[in-house]
Amino acid sequence: MDATPGSGASAPLIQIRDVSRRYVRGVDEVHALEHVSLDIPAGHFVGFMGPSGSGKSTLLNLVSGIDRPSEGEVVVAGQRLNDLSEDELARWRARHVGLIFQFFNLMPVLSARDNVALPLLLTKLDKAERIRRAETALRVVGLEERLDHYPRTLSGGEQQRVAIARAIVTDPDLIVADEPTGDLDARNAEAILDLLRQLRQHFGKTVVMVTHDPRALRFVDDAYHLDKGVLLEGEDAARAREAIRVSAGAGGARPPR
Amino acid sequence: MKYAGLVLANLGRNKLRTALTGGAIMLAVLLVCVLLTMPAGLDAFLNNIASNTRISVHNKAGLVYAMPYAFTRKVRQIDGVAAACAFVWFGGAFEEAGRVTFPNFAVEVEQVGAVYPDYDVPAQQLADFRRYRDGAIVGRQTMRRYGWKIGDRVTLRSTVWPVNLDFRIVGEIPNERSPLLWMNRDYLDEALKAQGRSGLGITTLIWVRAADPDRVNAIMRAVDELSRNSDAETASETEKSFFSSFFGSLKGFVTIILVVTGLVALCIVFIAANTASMGVRERAGELAILKAIGFGRRAIFGTLLAEATVLSMVAGLGGVLLTIALTDALHTFAGWNPSLGPLGAFIVTASVIVQGVFLSLFVGMLAGVVPAFGAARKSVVATLHEVF
Repeated sequence: MDATPGSGASAPLIQIRDVSRRYVRGVDEVHALEHVSLDIPAGHFVGFMGPSGSGKSTLLNLVSGIDRPSEGEVVVAGQRLNDLSEDELARWRARHVGLIFQFFNLMPVLSARDNVALPLLLTKLDKAERIRRAETALRVVGLEERLDHYPRTLSGGEQQRVAIARAIVTDPDLIVADEPTGDLDARNAEAILDLLRQLRQHFGKTVVMVTHDPRALRFVDDAYHLDKGVLLEGEDAARAREAIRVSAGAGGARPPR
Repeated sequence: MKYAGLVLANLGRNKLRTALTGGAIMLAVLLVCVLLTMPAGLDAFLNNIASNTRISVHNKAGLVYAMPYAFTRKVRQIDGVAAACAFVWFGGAFEEAGRVTFPNFAVEVEQVGAVYPDYDVPAQQLADFRRYRDGAIVGRQTMRRYGWKIGDRVTLRSTVWPVNLDFRIVGEIPNERSPLLWMNRDYLDEALKAQGRSGLGITTLIWVRAADPDRVNAIMRAVDELSRNSDAETASETEKSFFSSFFGSLKGFVTIILVVTGLVALCIVFIAANTASMGVRERAGELAILKAIGFGRRAIFGTLLAEATVLSMVAGLGGVLLTIALTDALHTFAGWNPSLGPLGAFIVTASVIVQGVFLSLFVGMLAGVVPAFGAARKSVVATLHEVF
């Protein structure tokens, strides 16, 4: 596994240039990210790892266009996100980003099919096409038998699959996952990581994931380690990676691609 | 329209709360609509019972003061007067009721039919009224109320004159316009004389029918001019004006009720707004996700506002339909119970329906706009930080 920042043969889908993110909490100014630079090639499965408060979720928010940097530049799929207003960012996310969250965050009042079709409401597709695409996405994640089920009748793993189907239904350039295995047991966590890897393998999707899960190291192409808002490089990154491997007992084994 | 499914699904999220909020709005709209029918209902009631050619003449000092009976003949001679009839309040109480429960007057039997041609009392019954000194003609409502029929004999105990009189019912006013009872003036006159009294030299009211509606004002002026500087100066007014004075206090009451109802509607706005705010707070996480996956401020604002408005409109339409049902029921019931008075005349006009629908639209939009705006204006990252 290559974890060197900026490495990879493909053209970068994501370009992060000297990005800092600071915000005010009460009377304190929090430095969530400090001068991070990073290129992520298209079609890669990338993990951001690090302890709580390391800035990995902040980085994910910047990459997905949920947040904007205080300094520096974020360019995704050729679009400089710094220049977009809140509403423009929303439209951009709807077209280019699929989001997956730790707690699935499905609408409890909608069936699996309707949850998946939700982002398609922002398109000009007619209802029949929206339903067809939602059902296709659910088939991709192996839930074609659960189309009419409501979230409360699905297991945690199934709910996360629905969330993944919702993330891919618009065929985005980028899939962003924030702790997607954080609320799942080991078996379901592996299944979800494998599903994300397959999205990269079979559909060429770029997947960026924030995780604490050491198992993720076996699935990602690149893992970036952050600590106190700084992207670790060189020996620091190697040490952090090793510490995770040891704690997981993974030994660096990776599944076949 | 593509958001309709999402809006309806969210309305079904907490069915009990949706039902209770909808019920509160429905009752408020019902209350407002029923009250809005009252002014128009009163007017319709007065138009129904009053003729545009009939004039009431009474003592300027008030209804309890009499006028000389001879004045009736003078009125009859005024140009444009088709007929005039003296009315004396008998104040008769039916023994079973023990109190005055319907208006009853001693009238001039030769004149009353000409003053009230629109009452459609059959000619034969008017002839019997003239023939039988103890004859009485009774309104259909009163006949139905006491189960009387033509040919029955009834006794009324006067609360004004020291007599009890037996009557033979010889006719019926064949419509719902008045519950009153007419008796022969001469019958009362003789009963009083039999007790050694001077008889009826007075009249309480004179009802005049103008030959032409255009001459009503001129006749009223002429009548009042005729009595000027006499011991009993008169005040003339149209029949509609005469009856509306009986409901004058009711109109004031209606105004107060409308003000109170407006405040109730405002309370309902606050209740609905509070419910909408609670709903938004409970769904903060979901709204954050919607924003994150690309729903813009306008979409968030629109769907939340639509939820409040749809609920309010459906409840409001329910309130309007209930109003129609209630007024229909009152209309039906009033036919059997004259004491309901003008309540039976309250009708839901198109104007009331439009006002009811707009009230519910107003409640929904006002209740939804604040929480919807609050939810929409927050940035996505701030919302995500708040809830995750």
